[in-house]
Amino acid sequence: MLDDQEIKRLLLRAAARDEGAAEAFGRLYRLTAALVLGVAQRVVGRREIAEEVLHDTFVKIWNAAGSFDPLANQPVAWMVAIARNRALDIVASADHARVESVTDLTTEGDSDEVLDRFFDWSENAAGPDEAEDLRRTRGFLRRCLGELAAVERQVLVLCYHHGMSHGDLAAHMAKPLGTVKTWVRRGMENLRECVEHCMDPGGAVRGGR
Amino acid sequence: MRLARHRLLDALCGEYLVGTMRGRPRRRFERALKREPLVAARLAYWQRTYAPRPSDQMRVQPDPGTWRRLETELGLAQFKRPWWRRVGLWRLWATAATAALVVMVVVQVQQFEGPKQLVEVARLGTKEQPAAVTASLSRDHQFLELRAARPIEAGPAQSYELWLIPKEGGAPLSIAVLGRLDARLVVPEGHRARMRAGATLAISVEPAGGSPTGAPTGPVIMVGAIET
Repeated sequence: MLDDQEIKRLLLRAAARDEGAAEAFGRLYRLTAALVLGVAQRVVGRREIAEEVLHDTFVKIWNAAGSFDPLANQPVAWMVAIARNRALDIVASADHARVESVTDLTTEGDSDEVLDRFFDWSENAAGPDEAEDLRRTRGFLRRCLGELAAVERQVLVLCYHHGMSHGDLAAHMAKPLGTVKTWVRRGMENLRECVEHCMDPGGAVRGGR
Repeated sequence: MRLARHRLLDALCGEYLVGTMRGRPRRRFERALKREPLVAARLAYWQRTYAPRPSDQMRVQPDPGTWRRLETELGLAQFKRPWWRRVGLWRLWATAATAALVVMVVVQVQQFEGPKQLVEVARLGTKEQPAAVTASLSRDHQFLELRAARPIEAGPAQSYELWLIPKEGGAPLSIAVLGRLDARLVVPEGHRARMRAGATLAISVEPAGGSPTGAPTGPVIMVGAIET
């Protein structure tokens, strides 16, 4: 388990660029690199490319640490988003041989198993100081993913966790492109509707706007 | 077109987050994130709400080479606390430092005069290789010999500098500036008495010719305690 407060402290220390910066950045790497690599590897499929993503991600984190918002309370999510973006850039630029490596990864289990194994839905997933609303939102998200139609849940997991594009999905599931696009879109819409309903059962506000 | 007013802004955020938005549309969306705060705020909401938190099962142990590459490329060495402050040895000295304590010694590597009885007193090394260099001292502490397990030579713009950290604490004392770690040298007269058990020898990498400040400035590559 990674404590968001600790990660944030290390990020801000690295951003200070003083004589403790390298030590803080080193500790940040030791704590989070395996997670970043794991996320990247599921998206890009190949280990050596995943190591490249890990490298690029930490270059970006070092350079962007100064622009990390000290008020933001999800530094791990911020780091993972950087890694995912880099990984997606890389798979988009080399689309060949994707389906094969993705198929290997789908032996990780069906979408429910993947969700419960590779994601942390527990109360204290982000450490003891996490805001109450974020804890609750995590519970809503897991519950609503469970309530989606199985195929919608499956495509969302394949896209998010395994980095599949619409084209990968169509090939992997042997369905027309239009069909899988609809599943993804509808999956997201249904997920959002469900989560927003949980957040605001009265329905006075939609989506925090 | 301004994306902030796009009626499908939420759908775009969702496709961006889940990763199905690729290529040019993704680039376009990222440009909008920079230019349009409303789009950035909306995506932040999506990320906060819909990005699940990876568990420890996700972890894959990285290749150690990746960190070494980062350290070099980002020049992390310059953001490190100097080692002698890190180990806290010089706290006392730092407050009491006076010019009298600052000793600058550059010793030429000298030939031994005649045979001398040398006794091994320290093994200098790293965590990976604890006895990379052995140090032997003559009975009268006048001569010191360093012998490296394998040849270790400084690059053209670098020198190695051998330091003595006295048992009683205080600033590292420069013993010699070296081009390679196989050397025979004369210990500066004032430091001979401090070459005793409990003191520590350390080798740092310095600019060619040795530390410009009289104190170690570069990374310390080897350390070993004097044990005799």
